[in-house]
Amino acid sequence: MRKKGRAVPEWLNSPIWSATPPAPAPPDPYGVDLAPPPPPPAAAPPVPPPPSYEQAVGVGGGRGDEDEDEGAGAVIRAHLLSDFKTALSKKVVNMGELRRLACLGVPDGGGGVRPVIWKLLLGYLPTDRSLWAYELEKKRSQYSAYKEEFLLNPSEKLRRMEETKLSRKKELNIERIGFLPRLEITNEEHPLSSGKSSLWNQYFQDSEILEQIDRDVKRTHPDISFFSSKSNQESLRRILIIFSKLNPSIRYVQGMNEVLAPLFYVFKNDPDPSSSGSAEADTYFCFVELLSGFRDNYCKHLDNSSVGIRSTLSKLSQLLKRHDEELWRHMEVTTKVYPQYYAFRWITLLLTMEFSFNVCIHVWDAILGDPEGPSDTLMRICCAMLILVRKRLLAGDFTANIQLLQHYPATNIDHLLHFANRLRGTIAG
Amino acid sequence: MAAGYRAEEEYDYLFKVVLIGDSGVGKSNLLSRFARDEFSLETRSTIGVEFATKTVQVDDKLVKAQIWDTAGQERYRAITSAYYRGAVGALVVYDVTRRITFDNAERWLRELRDHTDANIVVMLVGNKADLRHLRAVTHEDAAAFAERHGTFSMETSALDATNVDRAFAEVLRQIYHVVSRNALDIGDDPAAPPRGKTIDVGAAKDEVSPVNAGGCCSA
Repeated sequence: MRKKGRAVPEWLNSPIWSATPPAPAPPDPYGVDLAPPPPPPAAAPPVPPPPSYEQAVGVGGGRGDEDEDEGAGAVIRAHLLSDFKTALSKKVVNMGELRRLACLGVPDGGGGVRPVIWKLLLGYLPTDRSLWAYELEKKRSQYSAYKEEFLLNPSEKLRRMEETKLSRKKELNIERIGFLPRLEITNEEHPLSSGKSSLWNQYFQDSEILEQIDRDVKRTHPDISFFSSKSNQESLRRILIIFSKLNPSIRYVQGMNEVLAPLFYVFKNDPDPSSSGSAEADTYFCFVELLSGFRDNYCKHLDNSSVGIRSTLSKLSQLLKRHDEELWRHMEVTTKVYPQYYAFRWITLLLTMEFSFNVCIHVWDAILGDPEGPSDTLMRICCAMLILVRKRLLAGDFTANIQLLQHYPATNIDHLLHFANRLRGTIAG
Repeated sequence: MAAGYRAEEEYDYLFKVVLIGDSGVGKSNLLSRFARDEFSLETRSTIGVEFATKTVQVDDKLVKAQIWDTAGQERYRAITSAYYRGAVGALVVYDVTRRITFDNAERWLRELRDHTDANIVVMLVGNKADLRHLRAVTHEDAAAFAERHGTFSMETSALDATNVDRAFAEVLRQIYHVVSRNALDIGDDPAAPPRGKTIDVGAAKDEVSPVNAGGCCSA
């Protein structure tokens, strides 16, 4: 343990970090659902020329922040749209280039580049464009098969089984006209049977999970009309049920609905109707891809292991200590505000509850696009969130700090991501 | 939200109280009704723990309640139980319209007993009492439970505010009674710094007599 730690660099104490201006409303991606309405682009006061990638990503480091303008991020993103389109039009997409662009933020609107970019970043679309149609077709029909297998209730399933049997029988006994066969239900498949393999037994065991999913889907972004739509809720519900069936060791964990929401929103609002029509299937597979990097956080029996949520939380604590020992000491030694009190939700839900929905989508551009991968990027952003409010935290006691971090103040998201970039390459193994 | 400055308000005691119970019984709404007099039909689910404080008068003392609202799902038990440390009061909440949530109250109580002092003041709270036509748990069931387990019990409605303040106030009053007669030790957790007095729930074994404030929701 280093005694004096690294001295806090002077720029960290700049007033810019303590009096964070309210988040500028980035242009609403799809027009209707999200409040507040975006300010007219002309309202953005003198816009500095877009910085180079190196500057914006902070590779060069050590650059002052005072010249960062509030609207700059959105402007940079808009400027990048043509770069994105060029990158996406290549026969084989260069992922390095795409990630470098995505780190700067994906432009909203603009012919819907975000759905394709997220699918590429999550590895759902192969880099070779000529394979896209084939891959998508394969995945989407696989999803249809999952729906058939997991979403029919037992009586429907039995009815179909009987139908198959009957039609086979009919083929065999085609000559016995006039005989009306009765539906045959074996004892094993009677609803009151307690047989282990009974479809009904399985069905009742699942009902607790199904009710939980139902409850949570209904309370997913209740303030956004997109999520109050019955058919969209049905899609989320089906995805979560299928996920829980195919991942019996995790099943459904509360909060997965929140992680699912941005993916489904982005894919469902794809201006390309052939994509938005298959948003549910695409979302399912992208959700699986995304969770593959975070699944241990959802696993109760890994809570105390070296890969579970507790260990992730202590990594955050270490990261904060390395970058701002004074703040770390105030938080964990003086006021005993441990990460488990605030960062549990930050990490488990990938920050979806900490920012407004459209801001969250921009944060996800960085989380998904960063070459260091979603987990480490998330850690850096969490650490940056703490350091950005360091003055208030240093002045706060236990109660004030917990309340501040559980209701994170509106923040200039470009500052946040820019700052998170400065912490690059420093995650403990 | 609250600015990051030291809350300089005065109080005589600070009590940590936890809200536990199955998912969807209305814990977060009970807390928001008590702390801010707010209610929302569409509350997002609680992940991990949320936190609020409110200072109330008990007898002639100012008591600051520090209330921890926890996630209800089974998966989060191992994590949320860590939040129980130092709690001197608990509201075990069920939904009067969903029998299963009442049946699970016993499990929640066990959970509490495993992680807190045996003398923690516990109130069984049947929420959503406004939904009279959907009632699935009777007053008698709740009273019998409270009797059997030595807890208090009350029915509430976070929606129409019935008994919410009373439920919290009663728990705080009972804790205060224990405290005022005994040195009560909340521990060395600055999350719950005792002001001037030490509080030891453990020493108060016989002092907390289970009173069924029960069935008092005769609305």
